[in-house]
Amino acid sequence: MDDFPYGSAGGDPSRRKFFLVSGWSSLGMLAAGSGAGFAKFFYPGVLYEPQTTFNAGKPGDYVAPTDPKSVVVDERFKKTQRVWIVRSFEGIYAMVAVCTHLGCTPNWFPGEQRFKCPCHGSNYNVEGEVVAGPAPLPLFRAKINITPDGSMIITTGLLGIRRAELQYIKHVAITSWTDQEKKEIKKKPFFISLKA
Amino acid sequence: MSKASPEHGGDRKPGVIGTVWKLVTNNFIFRTVFRTGFPDTMLKRMAVMRSSFLMHILPTKVGVHGLKLYYTWCMGGITFFLFLLLTLTGVLLMFYYIPEEHRAYNDMKDLLYMVPYGRILRNMHRWGAHAMVFTVILHMARVFYTGSYKTPRQFNWVVGVLLLTITLLLSFTGYLLPWDQLGFWAVTVGTNMAGATPFIGFEGPFSELLGAQIDNDIRFAMIGGTRIGANALIRAYVWHCVGLPLIASGLILFHFYRVRKDGFSGPL
Repeated sequence: MDDFPYGSAGGDPSRRKFFLVSGWSSLGMLAAGSGAGFAKFFYPGVLYEPQTTFNAGKPGDYVAPTDPKSVVVDERFKKTQRVWIVRSFEGIYAMVAVCTHLGCTPNWFPGEQRFKCPCHGSNYNVEGEVVAGPAPLPLFRAKINITPDGSMIITTGLLGIRRAELQYIKHVAITSWTDQEKKEIKKKPFFISLKA
Repeated sequence: MSKASPEHGGDRKPGVIGTVWKLVTNNFIFRTVFRTGFPDTMLKRMAVMRSSFLMHILPTKVGVHGLKLYYTWCMGGITFFLFLLLTLTGVLLMFYYIPEEHRAYNDMKDLLYMVPYGRILRNMHRWGAHAMVFTVILHMARVFYTGSYKTPRQFNWVVGVLLLTITLLLSFTGYLLPWDQLGFWAVTVGTNMAGATPFIGFEGPFSELLGAQIDNDIRFAMIGGTRIGANALIRAYVWHCVGLPLIASGLILFHFYRVRKDGFSGPL
């Protein structure tokens, strides 16, 4: 204990050192615990956000296109649920109206048959594939479950759109669907086949 | 004035003013505030100066070059002035602004159209905020070009970089508060970038190692949810009005303390 800087007057140096170390480490643990509690405080335990599941009515409620090459995009759930119901010549599917770049809401341009994001100019075709701009992934597809009475229950995700299951099939950031994904998005639950 | 003071009253009978003056000055409370008495001698004048708070916080000596206002306009001083201006106008705006989803945008509009002097208050706050970011950058440019960041001022440069960060964060949190399309989507974009943080952002690289998801990552803690909503608004408000200004004030005090200790490097 010769290197102990506080001298040995008034007690056993090892005892004093014990109190120094235990005191400071208690304070350190208290600070660390408070810091962890402070961080934990910012994670809310309950959320009052809109539901990510909703009833979109029956497929027959949606107008079918007359031209096999174009689609009709229904925007009635865009504002409340951020979902487009797309009626193509072969069937119906639900696209999530969240740009995969940084989360803005794209707009549908029927004349050009494109979705365009106002924030940074990403363009998507009717399948959601990126045709222009910085978006790294195609638009997410929402699941459609048909109830016994024929209504479509649309799920955009467990706790928000980013958990749409399809994105987990893809592991590389590419802007168009792979061949495997093209098969995937053309069958249930991402696509409901209908007559024109 | 000096005739009415107790010291100069002499044997003459005091008039009305002299009596009132004596009543005001010749008591315990007055002598507690003005400790040195009437400064009618050289010694008392020096005592007044020495015990003044202003004299206490100002340096005992300043070089002539430190008083010269150069073409850089004392940009740090302008920044500090803007900080005070933003604090004042911000506190006044708080009287009319409620950070709630259905109220925020309308309260901002009411400030523009219905609140007396609300438009000039809001515009002073808004343009002052833009100007402060600008003056901070100009101040840092001046410090850089004059080499004032070098020893012994290197630590104050680091404090200045922290203050720049706080200024930008104040700007960012204030952006959401009008709850208009511009601010809403700007903050959506800005916080989605936080989702791409390595390890602790759900879209970032290595996020799977810590199991970061949309409902437990760093972005979730920032905005208090999975999307910009009421939680994000109140968080932006509290950080903007309380948290960040307190941190900024502490850092500014320390910044000035270091300036006082290190001295001015040249013309302001």
